[in-house]
Amino acid sequence: MSVPPLDVAKAWPSRELEHGRQLFRARFSPDGRFVAAGGQDKLVHVWDLEKDEKRSLNGHRTWVSSLVFHPKEKKLFTADYQGVVCCLNYVRGDNPIWTIPEADRNNVRALAVTIEGKYLITAGDDAVIKVWETLNGKLVTKLAGHKECIFSLTLSSDGKYLVSGDLLGSIRQWSIGDWTLIRELDARLLHTRKENFIADVGGVRSLAFSGDGKLLAVGGMKEAKSNAFCPGKPTVLIFDWDSGKVTNELGIKGKSDGPFNALQFLDDGTLAGHTEILHSASELTFWKIDQPEPFHSIKNGSGYDLSLHPDKRQLLVPTYVTGGSSGNGGRGKTPENYLTNTSVLRIFSLFAKPVEKKEG
Amino acid sequence: MKNGNFSCGSSVHGISRRQMLGSLGGLAGFGSLLHPAIARDIQQGKKQVCLIWLDGGISQYESWHPLPDSKFAGPFRSIKTSIPGVHFSELMPHTAKIAHKISVIRTMATKDPNHSTGVPRIQRGDPLDRGVDYPYLGSAIAKLLGPADPDLPPYIWIKPGNGGFIHREAGFLGAQYGALALGDGRPPVHIHRPDNVSTQLDAARNALRQKANERFKAYRNTSDVDAYETSYDMARQLMARKEIFDDEKLNQKDRERYGTHPLGRHVLQARQLLEAGVRFVKVNSYHWDTHGDNFNMSQRLVPQADQPFAALINDLDDRGMLDNTLVVMMSEFGRTPLINSRLGRDHWPDCWSLALAGCGIKRGAIIGDTTRDGAFVDGEGYDVGHLFHTIFSVLGINSRRVHYRHKGQKLAIANDDCEPIKEVML
Repeated sequence: MSVPPLDVAKAWPSRELEHGRQLFRARFSPDGRFVAAGGQDKLVHVWDLEKDEKRSLNGHRTWVSSLVFHPKEKKLFTADYQGVVCCLNYVRGDNPIWTIPEADRNNVRALAVTIEGKYLITAGDDAVIKVWETLNGKLVTKLAGHKECIFSLTLSSDGKYLVSGDLLGSIRQWSIGDWTLIRELDARLLHTRKENFIADVGGVRSLAFSGDGKLLAVGGMKEAKSNAFCPGKPTVLIFDWDSGKVTNELGIKGKSDGPFNALQFLDDGTLAGHTEILHSASELTFWKIDQPEPFHSIKNGSGYDLSLHPDKRQLLVPTYVTGGSSGNGGRGKTPENYLTNTSVLRIFSLFAKPVEKKEG
Repeated sequence: MKNGNFSCGSSVHGISRRQMLGSLGGLAGFGSLLHPAIARDIQQGKKQVCLIWLDGGISQYESWHPLPDSKFAGPFRSIKTSIPGVHFSELMPHTAKIAHKISVIRTMATKDPNHSTGVPRIQRGDPLDRGVDYPYLGSAIAKLLGPADPDLPPYIWIKPGNGGFIHREAGFLGAQYGALALGDGRPPVHIHRPDNVSTQLDAARNALRQKANERFKAYRNTSDVDAYETSYDMARQLMARKEIFDDEKLNQKDRERYGTHPLGRHVLQARQLLEAGVRFVKVNSYHWDTHGDNFNMSQRLVPQADQPFAALINDLDDRGMLDNTLVVMMSEFGRTPLINSRLGRDHWPDCWSLALAGCGIKRGAIIGDTTRDGAFVDGEGYDVGHLFHTIFSVLGINSRRVHYRHKGQKLAIANDDCEPIKEVML
């Protein structure tokens, strides 16, 4: 079956996987057959897209904060807000193959697996990156240096480097294998701490390399106005990877007040990102990275992650859906009709919608 | 009271001796609005109050009522407290250890979901509408109990940002019952007599001021001038107690125990003022309105309340002061069970929590039943009117017998439709 040409401007939501609780992270499996997602309900949910079936896996005792597939084996690594990391067989298993009970003091905010699949890398609240064997969850080494919690991890396109980003806007490049720090990049624009704040706001919420490895996109928000609503301007910084300098700053045209939690480069160099907004519709945004404003966007509820299908023609977004009771106060709601908010895993096809043939 | 009562017309001033007038002048005529016997009883008491106000609304799920198995729970652990079977959020480890010294009400059910109207409504006790602006709690206590130490203002407010004399909190009681606000915890400016003003010159200045006031009185209503006169004398006395504003005297271990963040420093300063004999100290912390990024923010904010609150309770207890000092930590409401699109929680007056300790409050009481998910009160909730009756009662003020009198009108000091919360009182 031929792959349709990429045409982002004609992208459309081609499939939806509904779930009764809020989901924050979602990924396509390496073969594209499965989707795994996690969020509020302490379970890891796996959809078999071919069979249209859903299974839920145990292993966590609180919200699932991050997940990543093994590139070759049928293993899914998942993490939670209380420091637990699980290795799950996402095809057949019900219980974890192994568990790391304390991969972090608190929230394991980011996971990555090296390209050959040998190492699992975790990072989060304790600001220490940890490297584990994917085979058995045995600790290999710890990488210290970040001064605040780490939000994001990614690997360079050639798989030689690990990149980490933290709350304060520090980005660090580490060498995979000898696990040494190579350099630090400055994304402090994405961190705000005004004099009257009582907490730091923002941080490097997402990282993505271009396919040729020449650019690093760094997502978050700048100019936060308070540490309460935490409203800011969603912002992407484009770094030239060789020089480590920022070459462009990308924003959005529409309304949004939260950070870019996920970024993804497409085959043709287009960058995709998704952000959040309070009580309104957000957008899936597309840029040509030499232009500050997006060339296309699609209205969508707040989205917390992006995953590109291996066919490079589908993007997966865990999307917020209101349960009908959002906003201040109960306003007459009762225990019976005060419902939780939910999610839909929305898959956007990045090409023109096929014309349906008329029967007869 | 209109701003016109002040020469500049502004409600907030940089603090100076002059600007202390209002707070100190409140002493004059204290007994005049109360039955003399009741006033005498109250004056004999040494009760004090510390109100820690987390402006914007702390999330009950991330503090007093975590309910980790609820569909509305956040991601944090629930930890054991010193009360068997009672759990708080892991973000409150210090308070969990002293839970047996405090009470928590988990079923506050108030009416206002907005900050702009909710803050004054809560801090005034949401009385029935009598066509007047009721005083905030601190001003009410300043009026009803007067100063615990005649040389000190009865109501001091430690807050981030600007300080000054905040008369609007006094409502119909009149400006003199307003709050002396220490902006960023800084002491009043001009508290030290300048070196180039000798004792003799200072006395001469005061004599001149008194003479000017006499002339002023001759043509005007004298009550304001009398208040100024009294207050000026009080301000001069306060100058003799300037050491209570000197945070250099606080020891390093205390600073570490309370925390070096603003709320930690300010609660420690509140302890110093309570020890000195200030009747009512309010400590404000702003930016708790976590509509966005509630969990990252709560992770950083809640410990800033936990640490100094627990330290204060322990210190007051160790000093034998807790039995006479009421400590309240609260907001204008809680936060929604539902988690919104920005991973925040919105305003939730329908069922929320607060903590009380000391001064006639039970130790280790957890009050109120909620639905299993914590979203709603199961049974009858408590409005802020109940809280005000409770506060007045434990301070020795009979909230049914004692009334304000304003322009001939007899006014209840707390909502007529509410009662003290007996379950939380000794």
